Amino acid sequence: MNRPLSQLFNRLVIVVPYLWLLALFLIPFVIVFKISLSQPATAMPPYVPTFEPSEGLAGLWTSLKAFSFDNYIWLTEDALYFNAYVSSVFIAGVSTFLTLLVGFPLAYGMARAPTSLRPLLLMLVILPFWTSFLIRVYAWIGILKPEGLLNQLLMAIGVINEPLIILNTDTAVYIGIVYSYLPFMVLPIYSTLEKMDYSLIEAAQDLGCRPVTAFWKITFPLSVPGVVAGCMLVFIPAVGEFVIPDLLGGSRTLMIGKTLWVEFFSNRDWPVSSAVAVVLLLILVVPIVLFQQAQARAQEAGK
Amino acid sequence: MKKSLGSIRKSFAPWLDPKAEPHISFADVTKKFGDFVAVDNLSLGVYGREFFALLGASGCGKSTLLRMLAGFEEPTSGVITLDGQDMHGIPPYRRPVNMMFQSYALFPHMTVEKNIAFGLKQDRMARSELDARVDEMLKLVKLDQFRGRKPDQLSGGQRQRVALARSLAKKPKVLLLDEPLGALDKKLREETQFELVDVQQDLGMTFIVVTHDQEEAMTMADRIAVMKEGKILQVATPEEVYEAPASRFVADFIGSVNMLEGVVSKPGGTTVIETQSGLVIRTKTDQETAENDKVWFAVRPEKLRVASKKPKTTSVNTIDGEIWDIAYLGDMTTFHIRLDGGQILKASVINDARLAQEQLTWHDRAWVSFAEDAGVVLTA
Ligand SMILES: Nc1ncnc2c1ncn2[C@@H]1O[C@H](COP(=O)(O)OP(=O)(O)OP(=O)(O)O)[C@@H](O)[C@H]1O
Ligand SMILES: [Mg+2]
Repeated sequence: MNRPLSQLFNRLVIVVPYLWLLALFLIPFVIVFKISLSQPATAMPPYVPTFEPSEGLAGLWTSLKAFSFDNYIWLTEDALYFNAYVSSVFIAGVSTFLTLLVGFPLAYGMARAPTSLRPLLLMLVILPFWTSFLIRVYAWIGILKPEGLLNQLLMAIGVINEPLIILNTDTAVYIGIVYSYLPFMVLPIYSTLEKMDYSLIEAAQDLGCRPVTAFWKITFPLSVPGVVAGCMLVFIPAVGEFVIPDLLGGSRTLMIGKTLWVEFFSNRDWPVSSAVAVVLLLILVVPIVLFQQAQARAQEAGK
Repeated sequence: MKKSLGSIRKSFAPWLDPKAEPHISFADVTKKFGDFVAVDNLSLGVYGREFFALLGASGCGKSTLLRMLAGFEEPTSGVITLDGQDMHGIPPYRRPVNMMFQSYALFPHMTVEKNIAFGLKQDRMARSELDARVDEMLKLVKLDQFRGRKPDQLSGGQRQRVALARSLAKKPKVLLLDEPLGALDKKLREETQFELVDVQQDLGMTFIVVTHDQEEAMTMADRIAVMKEGKILQVATPEEVYEAPASRFVADFIGSVNMLEGVVSKPGGTTVIETQSGLVIRTKTDQETAENDKVWFAVRPEKLRVASKKPKTTSVNTIDGEIWDIAYLGDMTTFHIRLDGGQILKASVINDARLAQEQLTWHDRAWVSFAEDAGVVLTA
């Protein structure tokens, strides 16, 4: 009596996450994919064909026949899209690397700090999340603009005579991405480093390693799961980033997120922007799968 | 096996030679962690080729002592010298010392083989020599078929053996072993003890071994140091520590002992001690005492004889009591005999022939006797 009931309950528990996935990921994706197969139209919604439930199965069949991959072909014909994808991946890649360069030493320092200090340091890393992302990016405009805080400071110290042009360049985008995504890099690396047994470093030194060698042979290999997780958490959202290139980047900063925005809002071309989004997703599937494998491996190692 | 270990080393006693210089020396070394004194003004010399054992209760500072020698902790005060060289400020990777960690500290991302080869690679040992050395070490610790495994795929005892092999692989002049055999079963432990002594002898290494197993310390070590609360209470050969403990703590810590408290009623070569309950003990001793000094008489259980009747031959040191408990241990039987004053004496009797022992049983009256040179007089 009790048994089938608890079995049912167990099944339900497993079903719930799949329901969420279905509702929040798969259904929206199918809708976007369907729109990407449509044609733009001056209508509301601005594409054809649309389903009319009243037309029944016959209507469904005619609209199915109207679907085409024209939008995807269009993406290959205009070099703009290809360049935007390449440029996005490039900017995201460079930013991820820069974030790693800044984030690893930060995480390392935190993991080596006295135990009593660590919660405070963690708080400081998470603290920026308490203000709106948009406001923080706007704040960078105030810092980076020609008459902004950074230039004022540098000129006051006498490092430069002319203001540096940083705002509205790719440099500003890099700064913005590194700044915004730093916690996503620091936290996973910190958690792997913190778990590491310091006596391993002592053992390596005892066997003749200098501290630098011990770092590369012991600390770094053991932190790889955290590094991979951090890089994926930065890279994946950075590829599709829109706000940072839009606010900090220049007119020549080419990123797919911005292209998508323009297609969607300025050109009101929903089908093409949907196609852009679907292709972006396909590009990101590779690193996402890599990320998942790294996670699984980290869990294996943690056991 | 135990006997052969002892006899190899009969002639080795550099500590008796006033001209011999210790290879390792601690001079007035103190180590504090905050206010806590882990090692307290300790001085100690360990000689080249010596097998030195550190014994002491948990938390008495044994690991701290080794860690200072290996270079992971700096002494708060005092000087540590190795081969005449002051070790102050010399980092661990420059010290000609290897250590086996109490926690093993195996590299989790490397196989057994890679763990063992790690130190050799740091020395840029030639490939063929390195492979041969790793094979030799794997054979020594009997882990040949596990060479490709990662540490988390090994049992506790196997991990301990990997740690041992890794620390031995470089064949350092000085090897510090922090409880090297604790996780092994008795048989494997005895075999490994024997091999350790062999390796140490063959290569002329100096070993400092921390152990909780006093039997292990007795069988392997040239000398034993007994530590308590950061201080060394006694450094001596196993025989001396056992037969002539310097204090009650040492006597109690090493082996089992009967301790009788009393006052000296007649000092001298044959001292007479009277206990509170009126027992009179006559014992030969070198210990200088004065009349009415408070002393402790310590005698090992195996030095006591047990009989059901009052022995006729010995007139001194016979005490009678009631058999309170009998523990059969296979090779020995331990009788717990309750004296009329309330103390319990332990007496171990070898079971040399099955059921040959007089049929003593619970609550029988029994006579305990011991010779004048059976025990020691302790003043601390
Ligand atoms: N880094 C440290 N900070 C503070 N106290 C420490 C530190 N390391 C050791 N201690 C303290 O110093 C004392 C001696 O420690 P140690 O590790 O030397 O003991 P041990 O004799 O090796 O004990 P065990 O037999 O349990 O291994 C202990 O009380 C321990 O709590
Ligand atoms: Mg210890």
